[in-house]
Amino acid sequence: MVKTMLSILITLGLLIGAAFFEQYFVDRQFDKFETALYSLDEKVRDETAVRGDAESVRTLWESEKKVLHVVIPHTDISYVDYWLSEAVSLIETENYTDAQSKIEVLLVLCRQIPQTYRITFENVF
Amino acid sequence: MGLIFLRTAAIFVVLLIVMRLMGKRQIGEMQPFELVITLLIAELACIPMADTSIPLLYGIAAMLAIFLLHQILLLCNLSWPPFKTLVGGKPSIVINKNGIDISQLKKNHLDLSDLIESMRTAGFFSLDEVAYALYESNGQFTAMAREDIPKENKESLPVLILDDGKFDRKNLSLTGTSEQFFTDILREHDVKNLRKVFVLTLDGTGKIYLQCKGENFRCFRVRLPEGSSW
Repeated sequence: MVKTMLSILITLGLLIGAAFFEQYFVDRQFDKFETALYSLDEKVRDETAVRGDAESVRTLWESEKKVLHVVIPHTDISYVDYWLSEAVSLIETENYTDAQSKIEVLLVLCRQIPQTYRITFENVF
Repeated sequence: MGLIFLRTAAIFVVLLIVMRLMGKRQIGEMQPFELVITLLIAELACIPMADTSIPLLYGIAAMLAIFLLHQILLLCNLSWPPFKTLVGGKPSIVINKNGIDISQLKKNHLDLSDLIESMRTAGFFSLDEVAYALYESNGQFTAMAREDIPKENKESLPVLILDDGKFDRKNLSLTGTSEQFFTDILREHDVKNLRKVFVLTLDGTGKIYLQCKGENFRCFRVRLPEGSSW
């Protein structure tokens, strides 16, 4: 009986701990990425963004996605990769109008992906 | 991970309810919740392994959730016996000293052929050889032999002639008898309506096991027609 109780408490602790950590970790990673995207978005609107600005955002994302692979499906990460690559090349060619729409999609993804992993009624059912 | 836990728990509960509703026939030799766990664990282990786009942690979290639910169920079973009955069910006595309990058979979604098959597996070939028979909550069949039954020469396998008011034509031709032969016998024993008969079996010595719906079983002998042997 004591062993069963102990195993229940340990497993419950592990699962609850992992659930909270996952939510906190995914939120934090995407918050950081979103902040970087906002500053890039401002530069694109001012038409002062250069490839180096876009590359620094990509470097940040590359370092973040390594650990994100552990907790979120890799397909979600791939979407960000595709849109970010397009934004980088559009900024390089100074096509700011198109680059702005790509960054807008990335900002939506930054808000949407963490939302998908929240414990909400619509996600559970 | 919290999401995976909740989704796993939801599927676990639904699957458990469905297995309980399906009755013992679906369970085999496991407790209902053990079968649910076996079904889920196999899938949960396979999906993250096969699909590399899903983090392995998802599979581990789901399996931990299953383990947690299993431990909670075990604990509840040990500390509160009515819970064990609710989750695992209770044994069903399908044959008692009065004969076959038709309501218990129906409750477990079993028919006469299932019962006869289970009896044969347990080593009993005639319905009157058994004093009590039951299906355990894990689906296993247990039978207690009748002490007062005389030892007889088992000449041939008892065959089912009437099953829930319907003649088994294959067995009629096997035994070399006819519907009229049994209708006459039934009339002699005050059974006027065939639909009242739940079971009638006949063996090679002419012994008949008869049980009508809502009545106790009867065993008697008849003279078999000339040339009737199987």
